[in-house]
Amino acid sequence: MKCPLENRQSSEILLEYSFRALNGSETEQLEAHLGQCQACRDFVDGQRAVWEALDGWEAEPVSEDFDRRLFQRIESEVFWWQRMWGHASLLLGYPALSVAAVAALLLMAVWLERPSPHGAPAPAPVQARMLQPDQVVEGLDEMEILDQFNHMMKPDSSATKM
Amino acid sequence: MGGATAALDYDAELMLRVKDGDASSFARLLEKHRLPVVHFLYRMVQQQAVAEELAQEVFLRVYRSRDTYEATAKFTTWLFRIATHLALNSLRDGRNERSQERLDERSDDMPALQVEDRRPSVEQSMVRQAALDEVRRAVASLPAKQRAAVLMHKYKEMEYTQIARVLNCSESAVKSLLFRAYETLRARLAHMA
Repeated sequence: MKCPLENRQSSEILLEYSFRALNGSETEQLEAHLGQCQACRDFVDGQRAVWEALDGWEAEPVSEDFDRRLFQRIESEVFWWQRMWGHASLLLGYPALSVAAVAALLLMAVWLERPSPHGAPAPAPVQARMLQPDQVVEGLDEMEILDQFNHMMKPDSSATKM
Repeated sequence: MGGATAALDYDAELMLRVKDGDASSFARLLEKHRLPVVHFLYRMVQQQAVAEELAQEVFLRVYRSRDTYEATAKFTTWLFRIATHLALNSLRDGRNERSQERLDERSDDMPALQVEDRRPSVEQSMVRQAALDEVRRAVASLPAKQRAAVLMHKYKEMEYTQIARVLNCSESAVKSLLFRAYETLRARLAHMA
């Protein structure tokens, strides 16, 4: 067997051997070479020392409130949409209220579009933002998921014990 | 192999349930992958607070992406791709300059020395701590992509193929990254044998 350290590509087999990733015959062949090559033995010994050193690097424990903070962030992202949906549902739930709201918007638009007495340019008209059906459906989905998260965030819930 | 494949499908299945609006499946994914993700990020950025902040962002992005999620790859491949991307950005932005300075002195993240009868002696603890510092410095000295490759290879036991997908490079590129990384680590840590 040629010495694996002759080039970088072949020396990868020494890494594989250190990781115990070689099959039986490859291992046998390499071990026969290791018996005769000090440089390769040093390589393998050095790599195993690295492996053991890395094994000793334990990670720190995760904060106990990690999940709670994450769910709070998720909830806050959903919250703004919920507020939008809350306003929209108020209009959709009360037809008279929505008619009054539309009328008020029209009056405001007419008032803003009136000719200026001093010839100054009129301000831009107010743009009313209407929600599309798919946005309404998405809002309902968000609210449903938010309810589930709220349930999981309750202190006595076993699901929150992560 | 069959068990690993079943685990792969299960994580993707859970994510598809999250896509369907099942929040409890998201909690189960979080329970399973919280520690591996935080630990990976901790070893990447070497600051616990930053690691947890990045990990939060990882899971937040997983949650945000639920509507467009497709099980085209292992869930962990996707998860660690997000984590690696955020870690590389964080390192590039230099948010961890303080962590590099703190490697030269005792970090508040490190456990306090124990001086009890049944614990290792102070001297043993100090020797162990010095060794740990040396490992951390050695890993911190690696270029970010080499660092990510080593951490995924060593601590997540990912195969070259999966690491390649996470890093969006070829398998031969991963082998090259690992070879150079381990070469550096051998130079710095082989004396610890």
